[in-house]
Amino acid sequence: MTTTAQPQTAHVERARRRASKSRRAEAGMALLFVLPAILLVLVFRIVPLFWGFGISLTNASGGNPGEFIGAGNYVRALNDPNFRASIVNAGVIILAVPIFVFIPMILAILLDQGVPGRGLFRSVYFFPVVLSSVIIGSIFSIVLGYNGSLNGLLKAIGLPAFDWLGRSQTALPVTLAIQSWSTFGMGVLIFLAGLSTVPKDMVEAARLEGAKMWQVWWHVIIPELRPIIEFSLVITTIGLLTSMFGLIYVLTGGGPGTATTVPEYLIWAAQGRLNQPAYATALSIILFVITGILASLQIRIMSRNASL
Amino acid sequence: MAGAGKRQRLALRIAAIPMGILALSCLYPIFFAVNNSLKTRNDYLLDRFGLALNPTFDNYVRAWSESHLDQYFVNSVIATIGAVILLTVVSSLAGFALAALRFPYRRFLFVVILSTLMIPVQVILVPYMRTMVGLGLINTHIGLILSYTAFFIPFSVYMMTAFYSGLPRELIEAAKIDGAKLLQVWWHVMIPLGMPALITLGILNTLNCWNDILIALLTMQKNRTLMVGISALKGQYSDEIPLFTAGIVIAAAPIVILYVIFQRRIVSGIAVGAVKG
Repeated sequence: MTTTAQPQTAHVERARRRASKSRRAEAGMALLFVLPAILLVLVFRIVPLFWGFGISLTNASGGNPGEFIGAGNYVRALNDPNFRASIVNAGVIILAVPIFVFIPMILAILLDQGVPGRGLFRSVYFFPVVLSSVIIGSIFSIVLGYNGSLNGLLKAIGLPAFDWLGRSQTALPVTLAIQSWSTFGMGVLIFLAGLSTVPKDMVEAARLEGAKMWQVWWHVIIPELRPIIEFSLVITTIGLLTSMFGLIYVLTGGGPGTATTVPEYLIWAAQGRLNQPAYATALSIILFVITGILASLQIRIMSRNASL
Repeated sequence: MAGAGKRQRLALRIAAIPMGILALSCLYPIFFAVNNSLKTRNDYLLDRFGLALNPTFDNYVRAWSESHLDQYFVNSVIATIGAVILLTVVSSLAGFALAALRFPYRRFLFVVILSTLMIPVQVILVPYMRTMVGLGLINTHIGLILSYTAFFIPFSVYMMTAFYSGLPRELIEAAKIDGAKLLQVWWHVMIPLGMPALITLGILNTLNCWNDILIALLTMQKNRTLMVGISALKGQYSDEIPLFTAGIVIAAAPIVILYVIFQRRIVSGIAVGAVKG
């Protein structure tokens, strides 16, 4: 009994060892396959994040590493009128977020309900999204500059010229309008994806009961879109805080004065033009905390919607 | 009821008018740039909105050679193609491992890669630049290629992992049982099977790399890409608008052509990306 079982267990043992050896080999190769991606994000993003936090606690400049000054840079940010202005501008931008969400939503619902020409609209609306903010900013700077085409047109029909980007009252709203024009196609796309999950029979049933078009929208379609609306509000906010650099750089350079200076632009200016790298990293960390809070909100919304 | 339907159709037809104007506005800026790039400086000053009746390509010739757009164009092409190839290789390898192989810390490593989506360049501007200087990568093509790969890899890995997870496991198991080494499985099975996702990803990454301004502005001052070059031309050519618009058209043309050819893929690919964030 034991003599016959022994070769068998030895066989099983060998097989198991072979299996575990091949499993180890698979695990080794798998780690090797993930390694390049891990190394890249580690070297260029994760380590710099922690390093940046370290720099933000010093008074480092240009070549010298500087000394530890604790929260000095953060205190300075609180007293810096430029930083305050950038936070106020960010606040104005965040107030505009609903425009960035609801206009695309309305357009998407109209497309979904079968506006004539919807196939064409859908593809054309997306076109500005693929263009670089540098291209868009350059073209609009030609059109909206004081000697630009729009003022040329205004003068031709007898209206006074206006310095759209050179006046502090209009520079930020105009920049935001261009940003919204250049990204609304993305929002339309997200809402169209969301609308494809709204049950058609619910809409039809409401219509058969004699509901008017706006009633169907308000009581049936928009409640169904709630997860998409929440999602869209959060990603639009994060996007506006971290993706307007190109447009502002080309269009206004943060001006006039600080009228279009947003935190991400101020970070860039502090690092380069103002040559205050340690201060720039402190501003970076503040921006990271703000977007981090928003991102955790996003994850919470997404996981809640997923479990619904 | 028929009345309500008719009323809705009428409402939609009315809505189509502003929506059509919006659609025209989406195309107009590029038309404006192309049209003015074909005018002489004087033609432009006389009539900014009219059609270029005597089209000239002089502006393109000048922008291409005198304004160094030829060099910038080459720099953009090298950085974009290099990064897209590297992104394809790195993300399909990682996606293959994360979706189909067993190894310790699999989920943890996936989360680490994804979480770096929360670290945009602005948030690590100074230490990122110091890393580039320290590694001797400032003003080099390889530096820009590695940077683009590092910044666009999280979404690429996410997309490839999701795509490979959806494939039937038997395909991979069968290849492994045949005795093929994992690297061969990747090359002979995962790359061909992943082609639809890899092509979409390649197009999206091309858009991202080509359109980037901030990373190139930070690291390629002496070796400009097109977007950095165009933003510099803006100040230089404020009274030579037709020349400037020719530059804009040159910089936008590859993307416009890509969009016209791959419009459906781009739209569906970006929808996936948008929903993930």
